[in-house]
Amino acid sequence: MEYIIRIKKKKRNILNDKWVWKMAWRDARKNFSRLFLFISSIIIGIAALVAINSFNDNLQSDINSQAKELLGADFVVNTNKGFDSTVIAMFDTIQVPQATDARMASMVLFLSDAGGTRLVQIIAVDGDFPFYGEVETVPEDAFSKVKDGFYTVLDENIATQYEVSSGDSIRVGTLAFPVAGIVKAIPGTGSLSSTFAPSVYIPMKYLRETGLVQYGSRVNYKRYFKTETTAQADEIIKQIRPTLRKYGYGYDDVAERKEELGQSFENLYRFFNLLGFVALILGCIGVASSVHIYVQEKKESVAVLRCMGASGWQSFNIFFVQAVIIGLIGSMLGAFLGVVVQYFAPLLLSDLIPLDITLAISWSAILEGVLLGLVISILFSFLPLTNVRTIPPLTVLRTGFEKIKRFSKVRLSIILLTLIFPLTFAIYQTESAFNGSTFFLTLIAAFLLLTAVAKGLIYLVKRFFPHSWGFVWRQSLANLFRPNNQTTVLVVVIGLGAFLVSTLSLVQNSLLNQVEFVGSGTRSNTVLFDIQPHQKDGIVALTNDNNLEVQQLVPIVTMRIQSIKGKTVREIQQDTTDNVSNWAITREYRVTYRDSLIDSETLLKGEIMPEVINPDDSIFVSISESMLDNLEVDIGDEVIFDVQGVQIKTYIGSYRDIDWQRIQTNFIFVFPNGVLEQAPQFFVLMTKTDDKQQASKYQRELVAAYPNVSVIDLSLILSTLDDFMSKIAFVIQFMALFSIGTGLVVLAGAVINSKYLRLKENVLLRTIGALKNQIVKMTLIEYGYLGLFAGLTGIILSLAAGWGLSVFFFNIIFFPDLITLGIIWGGVAALTMIVGWVNTRGIISRSPLEVLRKEV
Amino acid sequence: MPEILEVQNLVKKFKSAKNELTVIDDISFAVEEKSSVAIVGPSGSGKTTLLGLCAGLDLPSEGTISLVGIKLNALDEDDRAYVRNHNVGFVFQNFQLLATLTALENVMIPLELRGEKGIAAKAKELLGRVGLGDRITHYPSQLSGGEQQRVAIARAFISSPKILFADEPTGNLDEETANTVTDLLFDINKEEGTTLVMVTHNMALAENTNRIIQLKGGKLVADQKLAKAL
Repeated sequence: MEYIIRIKKKKRNILNDKWVWKMAWRDARKNFSRLFLFISSIIIGIAALVAINSFNDNLQSDINSQAKELLGADFVVNTNKGFDSTVIAMFDTIQVPQATDARMASMVLFLSDAGGTRLVQIIAVDGDFPFYGEVETVPEDAFSKVKDGFYTVLDENIATQYEVSSGDSIRVGTLAFPVAGIVKAIPGTGSLSSTFAPSVYIPMKYLRETGLVQYGSRVNYKRYFKTETTAQADEIIKQIRPTLRKYGYGYDDVAERKEELGQSFENLYRFFNLLGFVALILGCIGVASSVHIYVQEKKESVAVLRCMGASGWQSFNIFFVQAVIIGLIGSMLGAFLGVVVQYFAPLLLSDLIPLDITLAISWSAILEGVLLGLVISILFSFLPLTNVRTIPPLTVLRTGFEKIKRFSKVRLSIILLTLIFPLTFAIYQTESAFNGSTFFLTLIAAFLLLTAVAKGLIYLVKRFFPHSWGFVWRQSLANLFRPNNQTTVLVVVIGLGAFLVSTLSLVQNSLLNQVEFVGSGTRSNTVLFDIQPHQKDGIVALTNDNNLEVQQLVPIVTMRIQSIKGKTVREIQQDTTDNVSNWAITREYRVTYRDSLIDSETLLKGEIMPEVINPDDSIFVSISESMLDNLEVDIGDEVIFDVQGVQIKTYIGSYRDIDWQRIQTNFIFVFPNGVLEQAPQFFVLMTKTDDKQQASKYQRELVAAYPNVSVIDLSLILSTLDDFMSKIAFVIQFMALFSIGTGLVVLAGAVINSKYLRLKENVLLRTIGALKNQIVKMTLIEYGYLGLFAGLTGIILSLAAGWGLSVFFFNIIFFPDLITLGIIWGGVAALTMIVGWVNTRGIISRSPLEVLRKEV
Repeated sequence: MPEILEVQNLVKKFKSAKNELTVIDDISFAVEEKSSVAIVGPSGSGKTTLLGLCAGLDLPSEGTISLVGIKLNALDEDDRAYVRNHNVGFVFQNFQLLATLTALENVMIPLELRGEKGIAAKAKELLGRVGLGDRITHYPSQLSGGEQQRVAIARAFISSPKILFADEPTGNLDEETANTVTDLLFDINKEEGTTLVMVTHNMALAENTNRIIQLKGGKLVADQKLAKAL
């Protein structure tokens, strides 16, 4: 007989197939703890992202809203050579409120009970600066007293340190100013900047009388302008720009200040964005690995459903619905946690940022976080879940029967999407196609290498299996390659986690080392500058009297460029065809003369001319390589300098690489001996003090006898720097904790999930007489192997990634901290073993029958 | 009686990296509606593979299978699933209940998949018939082996299948429980008028059917019709 072959299927999509939703709930209610693993990696990943992005959003909006307060005016003109009288005349014609200040580093002597000397920033003020924002002082009128009378005010931190209060006096140069009060806050400076360069404010009209401004003194002058509108500021700038350019003066307006501030936080942004990216990728790995292992266990159940008549997509949808709902809940919890964490950010960062950080909820960051969490849940659960569709119903009859189609159009599309997502996100988060692609490719390379290592490990263990080893060692080693092994998944997940965490640690370490320098050994730790020629011998004698060695006494001559290759500065400025930097041809150069290189310099090309013997000889100077492009010069080119009205014709004789990070007196131009000896000059002296008492006595005597000479005490800077670094380190570590936390959750999730696959065979071993001790040992050894191999591979890969990130992304020197890497390696292996052991305890503490009967 | 299952020149080969194994070798037979057939043979003779092929759980390498008049070879996996849902019931040796579902929920699945409503009453009635009316909210882990197999029998019959495939239904049970389950299986089968195809090692159980097909080395070596009617 013939039956008509016709299938009348009602096609139901996921939304109207109630059975799918019912089954999803039924399955989930018995698997809450498992699904929590899935959710936890999303929660932490999204929390990190929301916290970081909210903070970035708030910081950006604070910069926008507070930029005027930070500048204190609508625009400001600055120079380090004093305003020319014609320029001042031009300023006077501009009918808007103006104010002036002059800033320079100098020693001050505290005439308080505590006494002492300190290098500070002297700020001489004149006019109503700041035009925006308030200067907070105690008492309230202290700052206005400085503007009107013969008073000083100083930053709170040095006032506290040197026990200075109203009524005491401070000697600045040759004048002793009564203290009018303490500055608690001033627009544009954070407490950190006052830690580094604490300020003492004096009236401008007394600056000259202090005697601090001498030949070679580095003074920065600023002229502040307050306009009615931004358009008015732009108009004035447009008018005065040619004159400013002619004299080489710089200017700053609110827009530029915003940009500068944005740039100064760029590394912080970049690091935080990197953290966000890492946290998210770890979340992705967590989702994919949790779902992968979950699906492995669900094979039999799915096969039963397939026998009963469930379609491939219906089976798939049961778990997909779970992933989406759990992902959404996890994302929302993550976003909530992120907002909570964000509220701690100002507590952490208030010292580092010269802004009042707003505590606003960034809805865009929250929405972005929730959407990203949802997308990750969908995308990264989709691929492992596609296997559900092709689980053959025959599995119910033949355990282990697998006929999973590895490549289908759906799988291929999902693979493509899962690749495109991290790439797109990386580009979005780093705001750079190159950087984002590099991040992404590094991750893919790490993924492929880890897979290769896992496969290689399985092959090698099989190939060279140690048959003579004892049962426990053989059994645990064999677990690495036996059917249903999780070696590849665990090596990839653990390895990728270790890779990301140690890369982060390497970058963090390099960032922290960036500002660290060495003031140890026989290197100088005290630098005296602004020494006038007539003071030189006296200061050398005073140094020797204090039993200190004069390690370097460097002459410095200030000069400007008159012409390059026959073209005057004016001609170069007018010539639009060249690319010579205006600042480079108008700036004042501090130049020294000597016959050889010092240890922070490396000769790259040409020869160092030691001395000019005959006055008619050509003078060959050495230039820093970094200035070649700015001045468009090369070996043999003529450069004429103006040294206090005297023109000196020179030729570029060589160029050098200079390590500017070294605490040395480094110079762009170095003249040979025999040229500048008679020019107006001042000296820098370097010495090394052995202890605080000696340094303190030496500095007191210096300031008393030579008030214009300033002392840089490197030990003081180092201790300040240490304080600064510990604050920064805390912030970085706090934020990195999120990414590391996600990594740990993913690791624990991978190990805990793999337990379910090992459960039955461990119970069987127990049933046939394996001792608890043997099961524990086997578990520890198996997970130990996995942790060690995966951790080591991840860490080796992270060295390459850390180097690349440090050098090319952050533009800093790469400082691998091998001890920390060792700790991470040990930590990963130990954690893998501990999690494995904790899981096994659940099996060995119960009777085999109990476990066999308990559904898993 | 019309034929509900028709197998012609059936061959099933499994390929491995090195060789090819023929598990079912040119088997042909047909099963009449409302009859009962036992497939017997030593381990490795291909019994379970043949059952799986007949039920549309897998496709043959060669030959054709018609189940309820539908040629399974021409169908994809989802179409075969649809055919199973509307025509086939299963009872397995290791029960194959879903661990995360209660007894009642396990029984309801086949009808839920069809999208039918008001099925809880029918499921409860069936569970009552198998003697588990008071255990409907229990999970599989809370039931004994015999109880689990009774839930599986209730699940197999809830969709009123035209044909029931049973793979060693008493293989995991003690003798007393096995007898209870066997009685239950044959009783309900008789009441419902379902065709039964059963794989078993147990000749006593096989003799309860009205036909025994014997396999050896993947070949059909004997096809014996018994006088005993269900």
